Amino acid sequence: MAEKAIDAKKKGQKKSSEDYTYVGMVFHRLTRHKLAMVGAFMLIFILLFVFAGPLIWRADPNAQIEGLGGMFNLPSRAHPMGTDDYGRDVLARMFFGGRISLFIGFISAISSTIVGAMVGLVAGYYGGWADNILMRFTDAMLSIPTFPLLIALASVLGKGVWQIILVIVFFGWMVDARLVRGLVLSLKEQEYVEAAHAIGASANRIMWRHLFPNTLAVLIVSTTIGIGGAIIYEASISFLGFGVQAPFASWGNMLQNAQQFIWNSPRLIIFPGLAIFLTVLGFNFFGDGLRDAIDPKLKL
Amino acid sequence: MRDYIIRRVLGMIPLILIVMIVSFGIFSLVPNPFAALIENPRIKKSDIQRLIKAWGFDLPWYLRFFKWFSGVVRGDWGPSLLYPGSTARDVISRALPVTVRVMGIEFLFALSIALPIGIISAVKQYSVTDYIVTVISFLGMSMPTFWFGLLMMMLFSVVLKRPSGMPLLPPGGIITPGLEEAPFWAKLGDRAQYLVMPVFVLAFSSVGGWARYMRSSMLEVIRQDYIRTARAKGAPEHTVINKHALRNAMIPIVTLVALSMPGIVGGAAITEHIFNIPGMGSLIIAAEIKSDYPTAMIGLLLTSILVIVFNLVADIVYAWIDPRIKYS
Amino acid sequence: MDNREVLVDIKNLRTFFYTEDGVVPAVDGIDLTIHRGEVLGLVGESGCGKSVTALSILRLIPNPPGKIIGGEIFFHGEDLLKKNEEAMRMIRGDKISMIFQEPMTSLNPVYTIGNQISEAITLHQKIDDAEAKKRTIEMLHLVGIPEPERRFNQYPHEMSGGMRQRVMIAMALSSNPELLISDEATTALDVTIQAQILDLMRGLQKKLGMAILIITHNLAVVAEMAETIAIAYAGKIVESATAKEIFKSPRHPYTYGLLQSIPKFTERKTNEPLPAIEGMVPSPYHMPKGCRFNPRCPFATEKCREEEPEILELTPGHLVRCFHPIES
Repeated sequence: MAEKAIDAKKKGQKKSSEDYTYVGMVFHRLTRHKLAMVGAFMLIFILLFVFAGPLIWRADPNAQIEGLGGMFNLPSRAHPMGTDDYGRDVLARMFFGGRISLFIGFISAISSTIVGAMVGLVAGYYGGWADNILMRFTDAMLSIPTFPLLIALASVLGKGVWQIILVIVFFGWMVDARLVRGLVLSLKEQEYVEAAHAIGASANRIMWRHLFPNTLAVLIVSTTIGIGGAIIYEASISFLGFGVQAPFASWGNMLQNAQQFIWNSPRLIIFPGLAIFLTVLGFNFFGDGLRDAIDPKLKL
Repeated sequence: MRDYIIRRVLGMIPLILIVMIVSFGIFSLVPNPFAALIENPRIKKSDIQRLIKAWGFDLPWYLRFFKWFSGVVRGDWGPSLLYPGSTARDVISRALPVTVRVMGIEFLFALSIALPIGIISAVKQYSVTDYIVTVISFLGMSMPTFWFGLLMMMLFSVVLKRPSGMPLLPPGGIITPGLEEAPFWAKLGDRAQYLVMPVFVLAFSSVGGWARYMRSSMLEVIRQDYIRTARAKGAPEHTVINKHALRNAMIPIVTLVALSMPGIVGGAAITEHIFNIPGMGSLIIAAEIKSDYPTAMIGLLLTSILVIVFNLVADIVYAWIDPRIKYS
Repeated sequence: MDNREVLVDIKNLRTFFYTEDGVVPAVDGIDLTIHRGEVLGLVGESGCGKSVTALSILRLIPNPPGKIIGGEIFFHGEDLLKKNEEAMRMIRGDKISMIFQEPMTSLNPVYTIGNQISEAITLHQKIDDAEAKKRTIEMLHLVGIPEPERRFNQYPHEMSGGMRQRVMIAMALSSNPELLISDEATTALDVTIQAQILDLMRGLQKKLGMAILIITHNLAVVAEMAETIAIAYAGKIVESATAKEIFKSPRHPYTYGLLQSIPKFTERKTNEPLPAIEGMVPSPYHMPKGCRFNPRCPFATEKCREEEPEILELTPGHLVRCFHPIES
């Protein structure tokens, strides 16, 4: 009797929060979040720029134009963003530089999240002295100022793409470790963990099958925002000369080059920097919206 | 409270130890950390030899750390590659106060802006003010500091000029040459113009993050039951916000600010580098670029200790705000 | 009939919540009368609008998303819904006080309980701090907290749930209000503590003579405490009478169902299933057409599904909202 009354009402009424699946709800909230959508559009645009760009504008990012006439050209039809101090086409370098920067950002962020999550899971689940040691180490690492440490590692490990990734990960796992540990500590107390224990699940199984999926949401947000941070780190390291090396372009090392030309060719500073800025902004907008969508009440 | 402080101070020790181990570890990855020093003709070989001995690098690897540890603790830091003729110790002790001063000013400045706008943003959620603050926060959090610094430099030193033709704000340094012995107020005014841009650049990113967290912390607190109780008691809204909500909202902020210190110190490094400010940050970077590993490692160690001490202060403030901590 | 002066008269109160998923008619036409010194119990399942009614009286409904969209709440003949915020502030905590369900979160964790109670006093009475402290200690004594001078400086986290609830009561009664609203104040407590708190409230009521609006879903609580009982369902009052009448001769099918579902120790039929009301409370987004109880009512007819019943006074003082009330 009750069902009939309710069903009759349902036909022709919009879905309420009771009718979605979990992922569906997240998506629904996400698409209504203004900033997140702005961020998403920004990211889509940048990804298109970086990956589809070279298909439309074909130029060799490393081709140098000989002679003084080729340097510092203002934007023209031949070179929509002008040329740099070596006579190279800036637009082409922006495409390829972007690819490298994004690649490094993405891989570093995911790797640090994975490493951090593992540390956090183990520390949180086992507790006791394992937790103590791991957390002390994490705290100590967190105390070392970001940047000089990055440079120190970079200078020691040598220059190059994989070195940077290693460096960023080495530095970046701590945040996720703390996050996951905190989450695990509170999840651990919940009854379904006790229940799993009671039916004889092994520690590994509990950690991976029960605790980890619940941290996934938080980790996804953390990774998204982490990509932004990683891109800035890469740019900073390359800016100082330690990261991606010439002749390859990355948005960071394009800025390094350009620093000396602040007086006569500001364009060389504006373009790559703007690209970095907008990319990071996009990830931050989107990541923030993702966080709100996953749990509007979550305080991260 | 006293016990709490003692416990925290004791807790600092393992942290400092680990930092030293990490520093030493990185240092040891380099085949010959003294190579660049040796190559420089202006540094006395005897100084380098003495350092190598004092730091135990002539000993097998398992003894090195302890020798290095005692050498560092005793203050024997060797010659400086960047300023041959001076000891590393002199160079560092000149650089440290500069950094502390710049960071101190930036910290206070950022805090005094971030907190109020975070609070207003939370109290007037969804208003125009809130959106503006949110946008500014994001801009601050996403802006690469060095790029922002360069842009500022372009704007205030290249584009905008004073009537005399000089840049509106100096693009680097911390003091106009010749004014080192000037009276206090003249010096202050002079210093200020050098610090405006770097402090602003650094503060911009801090303000972004902090304002946002203040906002979300306030929002979280305002939703709590005890706020409802305060209103049900008949407390006026300003008391509800400033007395009941604020103190609770500050609790996570203290932790956050403490956690952002390594980032600020790091960000300060690159800002110092761009604006040519002779502080610890640019010293470390310059040392690393020139492969002056001994100085670089000491610099890293000292700035880490700075951060750890700051964390200690933060912990104490935290316990002062939140009575649940010291009594548990 | 009740000869006492009418303290609070709620007429056709409607408080709706405007959420992303739709409009929730939390309180949809509630009438309630509370006399001076009367203990009125407001009973209903979760979500029936009883707490929202209480919050509406003090105008503590969070806006957004809630809004009082209609009706009148007369207090001493004046409509509270027409008063400005300052006037309401003076009534809250002074003439009408409220205590809440969760003692663990209803007190501000960073201030001492003495501070919080004194605040309630100084907000409404022009006395100095020392005098307020004295009065606070008197109140602590009154609510049965041992060693009140020592407890004055304690923090909420140092007290048990029962004690915190006593503190809440002390705070609420500190200005001798005319009406105390207790919103599920004992629900979150252990049964034994619950009994103690109810005893305390009963004793205080006799001593101080204030009216109490007891909101609960627990019939046992109102059986002990209340003179009059109002039963709420899905945002409306469905039955209202003296406690004796409600328990002896419930006229509304819902009330009847509630009473039937209480396990009774004296019944011998232990192998029969406990009677429960079929179905569930309707979702606020999908209220049934006609009488809101009709999907679950064993006596529902076609009329019940089409039209909403009005309130009828079956016998003096006994009001029912039903087309087919049960025979007494």
